[in-house]
Amino acid sequence: MINVVRSEWIKVRTVAMHWVLALIAIAFPLVITILTALFNGDSADFDTRSLLEVLGGTSVVAVLLLGVLAAATVTSDFGFNTIRPTFAATPRRLRVMGAKVFVMVTYALVSQAIVMFLGVVIGGAVARGKGATIDLGSYGPAVPIIAGTIVLAGLMALIGLGVGMLLRSTPLAVTLLILWPLLIESLIGGLLTLITKSGHVLRWLPFRAGFQLAGAGGNDGDIGSPSRLTGGIYFGVVSLAVALLGAWVVNRRDA
Amino acid sequence: MISVIDLTKRFGAKVAVDHLTFDVRPGVVTGFLGPNGSGKSTTMRCMLGLDLPDGGSTSFQGRRYRDLAQPLHEVGALLDAGYVHPGRSARNHLRWLAASNGIARGRVDEVLELVGLTTVAAGRLRSYSLGMRQRLGLAAVLLGDPQTVILDEPANGLDPEGIRWIRDVLTHLAGQGRTVLVSSHQLSEMALIADDLVVIGQGRLIEQSTVTEFVHRYAERWVRVQSPGSSALGPLLEAEGATVTHLGPTELEARDIECARVGELAAQQGAVLHELSPQTGSLEDAFLKATSGAQEYRSASWGGGQ
Repeated sequence: MINVVRSEWIKVRTVAMHWVLALIAIAFPLVITILTALFNGDSADFDTRSLLEVLGGTSVVAVLLLGVLAAATVTSDFGFNTIRPTFAATPRRLRVMGAKVFVMVTYALVSQAIVMFLGVVIGGAVARGKGATIDLGSYGPAVPIIAGTIVLAGLMALIGLGVGMLLRSTPLAVTLLILWPLLIESLIGGLLTLITKSGHVLRWLPFRAGFQLAGAGGNDGDIGSPSRLTGGIYFGVVSLAVALLGAWVVNRRDA
Repeated sequence: MISVIDLTKRFGAKVAVDHLTFDVRPGVVTGFLGPNGSGKSTTMRCMLGLDLPDGGSTSFQGRRYRDLAQPLHEVGALLDAGYVHPGRSARNHLRWLAASNGIARGRVDEVLELVGLTTVAAGRLRSYSLGMRQRLGLAAVLLGDPQTVILDEPANGLDPEGIRWIRDVLTHLAGQGRTVLVSSHQLSEMALIADDLVVIGQGRLIEQSTVTEFVHRYAERWVRVQSPGSSALGPLLEAEGATVTHLGPTELEARDIECARVGELAAQQGAVLHELSPQTGSLEDAFLKATSGAQEYRSASWGGGQ
């Protein structure tokens, strides 16, 4: 199995587009967080919570890109037919899919951990320089937000891989992974709210629930949102189900 | 040794491979022939488990491909030189393949050297010609130093030097006792390198034999005669049941008669012979005759062809 993991890692890191996506995913939240700290750090209400909200909120966009990256590692294999030499070299397809999951989920976790670390350290230093008080220890949800955002990145990679395995097409997978959380869920949510006359169904829209991990879920007032833990577990189950379904389909179809 | 037993593959209502059974023995090059759409590539993908067969099985030295722990050490396959990521370098393409089967990085440079791509190994594959990709594909085949080699149209896109080179590689591999299965549309090339043939049409086995037996069975044979007395010899041959075609005042071709018998009749006639030679059609002729009923796609006649 370790050989297959090494092989998949080489495949990921030897394509420039993967690095471009990863760079954007890492740079975007960092740049926005640092710029926000730079321009708002001297504001009286800018504090640890503000910093983490900006970092977590922008990381939601970044983890979408990590999901896209994960999907692309699968769909490019199908698109360029490198899946055939891949399966010829490792006929046990589930091993290949398992290795892809291991590599991309680890990649997403590590890169998001780097983002959170740098965001807190650099963004915090910039904000402090502007006179803000940044103290992670004094803000209770700090660690859950940081850990939740990192976990969210891993789960996005997982669902991205699953979507990639199911669709096999980069344009389709990318479109779905971007539009589903940003547009389709809102449309479905609105429709369901109209039909059920209740907004409680919104909490069970997968991405909406998952984004609670980053502390960036919608604040729907009386409608409410799942807790960070509940939303995370729910999104994790959905992501795992999509990935398992994708692996099952890949195992059953011609390569 | 490759054993394909009762292999069947359907795509919807279309039967691409139809209860196909054949063996490929080690130590010789076996050509895998069939018209376009006859199921050669599908068969090869099924053999490697890439397409999931609806029935039948394939074994390599008695084991299913799926059961090979590190298949690149036992079976090297080149199904399509285009199965590469254009943004990756040749060296990195081979490195991920090598890593998947625990093959040392040093072996990557060795096979790049073997196929003559060392100087361009760092280049992106999008800049590679088809011939260069074929060489890369062959490098991938050789990575694990496998006992069995399967190649689908390996000479596609190669220049004459490349074609000769791949011919030498395949005969060398077979000479080492390896099992070599090669599909190709270049029948003249196949006639030079193949010892055995597996011929299929519409997914079914048409013939498995040696090249010599195949040509003997399907290709036309005739006797070519050059003699100043050919006009007198012709009727004698026809009287023996031969079909005679006069090509010129001193030249004829006789069918349905043995060469030796033509010589005897010429001697009885006292005819001087300038040439008496048995002629046999080419592998291409034999192939076209053998597969005439199994052509999936048939071209309109442009004249001059048979």
